[in-house]
Amino acid sequence: MPFVHAVLVFAVTAMLTQGCAFSRGTLGDDIKTEAVSAIKKGVTTKTEVLALLGAPDRVLPLNGRDVYQYYRYDAKAGSLLLIIVNFSRLSVKGDDLFVMLNQSGIVEEVIWSKRTENLEFRFWPFGE
Amino acid sequence: MSRSDTPRISLLLLVLVSAVLSSCNVVRITLNTPLTPDDVAFIVPGQTTLLEVVDRLGSPDSLNNSTSGVVSIYRFLDMKYSRVNFGYLARPWSPVDPDLIFSRTGFGTDALQVFYDQNGVVVQHNFLRHVTERPFHPYPF
Repeated sequence: MPFVHAVLVFAVTAMLTQGCAFSRGTLGDDIKTEAVSAIKKGVTTKTEVLALLGAPDRVLPLNGRDVYQYYRYDAKAGSLLLIIVNFSRLSVKGDDLFVMLNQSGIVEEVIWSKRTENLEFRFWPFGE
Repeated sequence: MSRSDTPRISLLLLVLVSAVLSSCNVVRITLNTPLTPDDVAFIVPGQTTLLEVVDRLGSPDSLNNSTSGVVSIYRFLDMKYSRVNFGYLARPWSPVDPDLIFSRTGFGTDALQVFYDQNGVVVQHNFLRHVTERPFHPYPF
């Protein structure tokens, strides 16, 4: 009987589904974890940071220090087109890396998290 | 109305409801992870540091100067859009395709601002707006 139920559920779902769509968009280059790991506080210089990561997306002056900001955005959209109703969900997340340099051009602090790793295609717009 | 009319009326209602619902769209757009007061309850002014905040919430979207030291900003959005086209009800009988669309969008934009002193210790934190969870409803009035 479970097989019959599974076939029935599949048949009903197939009849109700007109189509589905997956879309993805990205902004900026991927920030490589290895490159970030290679940056050592109190050791790595501004020149080395630029060699590892390239030019920053933004340079922020922060209390007499330079902060290099690198970012990347990732967007994943899923649409479920049913006969009765259409559901769509777009999720956007960003990776932001901040490298704080002291006045001598040495890395003082690194602030980084990779939020796009857990980004999934989702259809259901309700709940979380 | 006789008993024999009941199935026909039920079928007609089913067709009408299906016609209305077939023009339904429910869309949600989220930017970053929406934060709630519970998510930031761990932040204690005068005690929590920038690195502890980053450890729990991830890196902020921006860092700026403030009079006390530094301010980090976490931006997020939870947009909800729903739409119903009641014009579909008249399409079987109308020579044109009429539209009577009710739709509503709620831009749940918000941001968490965390102020730190020169040593990177939290001075204060606040949400930019106080967005409460809004349901999907297309009624615009």
